[in-house]
Formats: sequence, structure tokens, C-alpha cells
Amino acid sequence: MLKTFKGGLHVNDNKNTRNCPIENFPSPAKVAIPMQQHIGAPAQPLVAKGDYVKKGQLIGNFETGLSCPIHASISGTVADIEMRNSYTGYGKTAHIVIENDYTDTPDDNIKTFDGDIFTATSEEIVELVRRAGICGQGGAAFPTYAKIQSAIGKASEIIINCAECEPYITENHRLMLEEPEKIIGGARILMHATYTEHMTIAIENNKMDAVEVMTKNTAEYENISVQVLKTKYPQGDERQLMYVIKGVELPAGKLPADVGCVIFNAETCVSVYNAIYEGMPLISTVLTVDGDAVNTPKNLRAPVGTRISDILDYCGGSTDNLSKIVSGGPMMGQAQWDMNAVVMKNTSAFLFLSDKTQSNDEGDCIHCGRCVGVCPMHLMPNYLAAFSKKDDKVLAEEFGILSCVECGSCTYICPGNVPIVQYIRTTKGAILAEKRKAAQKAKESEAKS
Amino acid sequence: MNSNTENKFLTMTASPHIKSPIKTRNIMADVVIALMPALVWAIYVFGFRALTITAISVVSCVAFEYLYRKLMKKSNTISDLSAVVTGILLAYSLPVSTPLWIPIIGSFFAIVIVKQLYGGIGKNIINPALAARVFLFVAYPTELTAFTEPGKYLSPFAVNVSKAASDITAGATPLVDLKNGIIPDADITSTLIGNIPGTIGEVSATILILTGIYLMIRKVITWHIPVTYIATVALITLVLPLGNAGGVSFMLLQLFSGGLMLGAFFMATDYVTSPATSVGRIIYGVGCGLITVFIRYFGGYPEGVSFAILIMNLFVWYLDKATKPKAFGGAKK
Repeated sequence: MLKTFKGGLHVNDNKNTRNCPIENFPSPAKVAIPMQQHIGAPAQPLVAKGDYVKKGQLIGNFETGLSCPIHASISGTVADIEMRNSYTGYGKTAHIVIENDYTDTPDDNIKTFDGDIFTATSEEIVELVRRAGICGQGGAAFPTYAKIQSAIGKASEIIINCAECEPYITENHRLMLEEPEKIIGGARILMHATYTEHMTIAIENNKMDAVEVMTKNTAEYENISVQVLKTKYPQGDERQLMYVIKGVELPAGKLPADVGCVIFNAETCVSVYNAIYEGMPLISTVLTVDGDAVNTPKNLRAPVGTRISDILDYCGGSTDNLSKIVSGGPMMGQAQWDMNAVVMKNTSAFLFLSDKTQSNDEGDCIHCGRCVGVCPMHLMPNYLAAFSKKDDKVLAEEFGILSCVECGSCTYICPGNVPIVQYIRTTKGAILAEKRKAAQKAKESEAKS
Repeated sequence: MNSNTENKFLTMTASPHIKSPIKTRNIMADVVIALMPALVWAIYVFGFRALTITAISVVSCVAFEYLYRKLMKKSNTISDLSAVVTGILLAYSLPVSTPLWIPIIGSFFAIVIVKQLYGGIGKNIINPALAARVFLFVAYPTELTAFTEPGKYLSPFAVNVSKAASDITAGATPLVDLKNGIIPDADITSTLIGNIPGTIGEVSATILILTGIYLMIRKVITWHIPVTYIATVALITLVLPLGNAGGVSFMLLQLFSGGLMLGAFFMATDYVTSPATSVGRIIYGVGCGLITVFIRYFGGYPEGVSFAILIMNLFVWYLDKATKPKAFGGAKK
């Protein structure tokens, strides 16, 4: 029997694009590159309107804190620097708009790493990864260089997350089939940089062809193993991954490194590989285009900054009943409000969904306990939602609302159509805001006395 | 919230963007399906009057729910089928000789007083059908305790069963004998298949067990409550039989001759009024079992299932709170 975790969902995985090879998206006429695509401080634009930029050129940076450099994904002229609302909740963000000159002129700084990367020091690799603008391409977009730093001296196990538990998305699956040597090559560099002793490549058992490819490609390495996981949402969550692979429960408020693990997404490894062996910073990403309202589902490798409308045109347009566009998976992705949203470094999918899949009439909780059964954090979402409805923050906290990872399993399973995780998010946010305020106050009064 | 893009309104909602197709209505429909074989059996044993009473009960439950929601200007909820389930369960807990207007009164009590006054589906703290049954039991003790002999069919449409007809009632279920520590005449086989006096839906123990298993396979209910409930009753009646009746047959008659199977599989498992955690459900099931036996042994009534479940209904919040699972990665309790 495959090892698994308690709770979770068996969702129709809708991996319709599993047999769609990754196509290179033709260079778009225009891109709009956001200065914030990562956790941390936004990058500051380094170019001005009218400047000519080359492909791979550094166009945004912020050196003095946790941040991630941003590069031009095409060559051409800076048409504008616009302040736009971020499509992923970062607030107003500068977008550098570049008009394509279709020459694909590479930046002069693009060169491959000279010599054997496995003799390089951690510091050198950290710097190379930082300069390449690499951030986690699975979800949260945490700057990869900072993650390497946090793992050094603490982690002994490196986990490559190829679980891909969100329905629809097949980009990691395709990468494993088409570019296994890049995932493994990049992962080995990260392993070298983090001084980890053992690597586990974690794959759900709905991708057995990928398991085969990855097993074959890692056969020569004794310290790398491929772990097959039961297909269950949210298996790709790092807590559930570590629980299944290492048998450890990550204590609330701790980082994976605190229990000896460091986890990277499969595509992040590909980006590391590209940065070292091809010298190319992170300027394009692989994404799945699917959903019941798109005419031709595909897997694409598209430049960062490509608009959704361009992607949709390339995929044959949408059907008339298009109702919602989601960036990311259907369980945790974000709805987009218009077609000007762009591909970002961590974009894994654009889903075009019809009205059929929508049902937002809130019903009543019948206390069936299904949400309790599926909660991977072992909470009681039914009560958390009820307390949230009454704005009872004390009981909500007593029932562990702050442990919620917002995976959405409860809302998915609820037969009463209660937007459980949505209620929880609101109250959790309010509690955290109160705590921040209190901490701030305490700090101020301390400073005064 | 919508936003206009290229003549197109996009839906803006927070994740998740997909939902399970199984809704309250599907679950209730499954329960209704699971309750049908027992009705067929009741018609076979007690005649078409069983169907009449069930139909009246269902129609009046749905009607009261519809009217109440309409009158109070609330959303219409009859399509979730929960009122249908309540109607069937209420009818199943009445004897077949019940006057035809009694289920209407019971439906009013179940739907309006127990369910809707608390806010409708999911908000009631005790099981509507059971509460109504107990209300009727207290209000109309004579009518609710007259049990017809199997095979003696009463008129399906006579509002009140004539005096002559009620003469054919058996008067007592095997439980009355058991209460006095006597093994009744009814043999185990006819008890198991349900060829005994009793309420409309409770007599067919075998059918109720099979349909209960169907609900478990369909994942509508879990094993925790029915298994622990029945096991508790079995254990106590086996180890501590009443009087000098003793033995396995005393236990088997206790299990199969009253409302235990109907209660354990279909009433104690009512989501709204049972715990949401596995451990909570086990404690709840054991509690139901203990109280049932206590009432049957020491109480004023031969039957204790309804009271036991209603009493345990009141503990649901405490059980949920006490058996709250340890959060993943959280400190040990």
C-alpha cells in the first residue's frame, strides 16, 4: 500500500493535457512584466520608457532585502512603465511594458557557468540562483536563493515536489517526460548547494509513466530515490509531503528546514539548470491551459509577461459560456478579473471555466462532518466557518483556525455549499491583523519606556 | 462581483473554483432510497394503510416546510429533500392503526417547531422526526401504543380505525414481555424478518440492516454510530439479562424486536444531531446504547430508542468539542 496522509480529497483530476507536449509559445507582440512576482520586496525598475532592452537583461532589482531580480523576457523597446493592480494580490505593482522587435537579441551578460558546478561553493550557487531571478514555481514564489540559505546546515533531505496534486495541471508531468535531465540536473545542483545527503523525487501515482522515466534517469545516483505517492489532494502541500516521505509532522510555525527538509518544485529545478548550463535567467515558464471553456487545451512555455488574451488566442479562443479565468489550479488558484493578466514566474496554469462549473449559492451546514474528514490539518472546518460567521475569534482560535492552510478541501466537499474556507480566510486574516497590531503596540510602548 | 472584459463578464470568486457534485439533496435522496425497502415490507405486513400514513406524513412535512418558509419570506428549501426524510421517519415510528390526522400534527411539530423555529435545516438541536414521535406518544398514548397483528390488514383510508378493527390489535410488542423478563412467544426468525407487531418502519430488522449497509457503502453514514450503538445494547443484554430470561435469545430479541435498527441506522445517524468526529460518534453510539437499555430495563416504557437518541442529541456540541482532533503539527493535548 502506498503511504499517505490522513484526510484529503479524491478529486476528478481532469488531467486532460497529460499527452500534450510542451509547445513554445510564439514571441508575443507585447509583454507586461510585473516588478513583484515573488514573496518579499518588489523589484525597482532599472529601465525607463523608450529604452531598448535585450532578452534576459536585468530590468528590475532590489538588492538590500528579500527580493528577486526581474529580467526582460523578450527583446524590444520599453513602451511604458505602468502602475497596475497586481493580479495576485500584491497591490499596486509597476509593470514594465516591452514592445517586441522580434529579434530575440540576447543580453551580453548571458553566459554559461564556467567549469564544474559541483566544485562551486554554496555561496557561489546562491549568488548565481539569485541573479537568475529564480523563485519557487510551484505556488508561493519564495525566492529560491533564500530557501537554499535557510536550508544550509539544517536540512539533510532534499525533496523535489513533482506531486502536482491540483486537478487539470500537467506541466510538471510533461517536464518529467520531456526534460527529466533538467529536473534532475537542477535538483543535483540544489542538493550540492544545500549539503543535503539524500534526495527524494515525489510523484503521485497518476503519473506512472513519469515515475518510470525519473527512476530510469536517477538509477546511477545512489542517494536519489523516487517516491510514488497516492493521488490525493493536497499531497503536494509541503507538510503532507514531509509527513509521507519522512514521517514528520511539521510543527505549526516552523519551516521545513527545522525538521531537516528542504523542498523544491520540479520546474524550479529546471530553471536552476537553465541558469547554470545555459546562462538564461528565469524569463519563461511552463503552464497548462485547460478548462471546459477553452477550445484547444495545451501545455505551453511562455515568456513572463505574456497576456492571457494572447495565450487564449493561441489556444483557439474560448467557448461562449466562458465565465471564469483562473490562474493556477482550480483548488487554490486565483480568479482573474480581465484578459490583461499576465504570465508570471510561478504561473502553473490558466484555466478557462464555464458557467456550468460555477455554483455560488450559499446553503446550510448540515453538520455531516465531511469537511472534518477531509481536512489535511485535522481541524473542524464546519465549526471554524460557524464561528467566523458569528465573528467569534476566541472560539475560532481555540479550534485552531490559524493552522488552516486554506487548501479548500472543505469547501469542495461541502454538500451544503457553504463557502467554508472563504469564511475561515476572512477570520484568519482578521485575527492575524489584530495580532500584528498588538505586537506593534507592544513594541512601541517598549520603545517609550 | 463581475468585471467587464471584451464584452464579457468574468466571475470573481475566491478559490476553490470546483466543487463536489454531491449535494445535500443527493444525500437525502440516498436516504429516501434506503428507506424504501422497509416501506415495501411494511405494506406486505400491515397492508396499504402503511403507505397511506407514510404518504400523509411526507406530504404534510413538505407542505409545512414550504408554507413556513414562504410565510416567513425565507428561501425555499423543500428541494433538499430533508423534509421528505423527516416525513418518512415520522411515519415509520407510528403504528399502522394510527388515525390518519395524527401524522399531520406530528409533521407540524417536527417541521415547524423542532426544525424551522430553530432556523431550518442544520440548525435544529434534536431530531425532528423523533421529537415529533415522542410528542405524539405523550399526547396520544392510546393511539400510539396499539399495535396490529401482522397480516391483519386495516382499511387504508379509514380516518379512525373502527373499534372492531382495533380489536384485532395485538396490544403489545415483544418488548413488553422482555421488559417483564419473559421471553415472548415470537420466534427469532419471524422477529428477524419482521413478521411481528410494531411500528410501520421498525419491524423489518433484516431489511433495515441491509439498507443501513447500503448507506455505509454509499458513504452517506459511517459505521461508528450504528455499530457502537447496537454493540452496546447487545453486550449489556447478553451479560446482564433481565429477570431469569437470560441467554442469547433474550439479547437477539432485544436487538431485533423494537426500534433499535431503525434508530441506530437511520435516526441516530442524522447528521445535524450527531457528532462530526469519529471518536465523538463512537461515544455517542455507546451513550445511545446505554440509555436505551436503561430505559428498557428500569424506565416506565418498554421502548427506549427514541428517548435515548433525543437525550444524546443534546450532547453533540460537547462531544464535538471534547473530541476535537489534534491539529496537524499542533501541540499535543
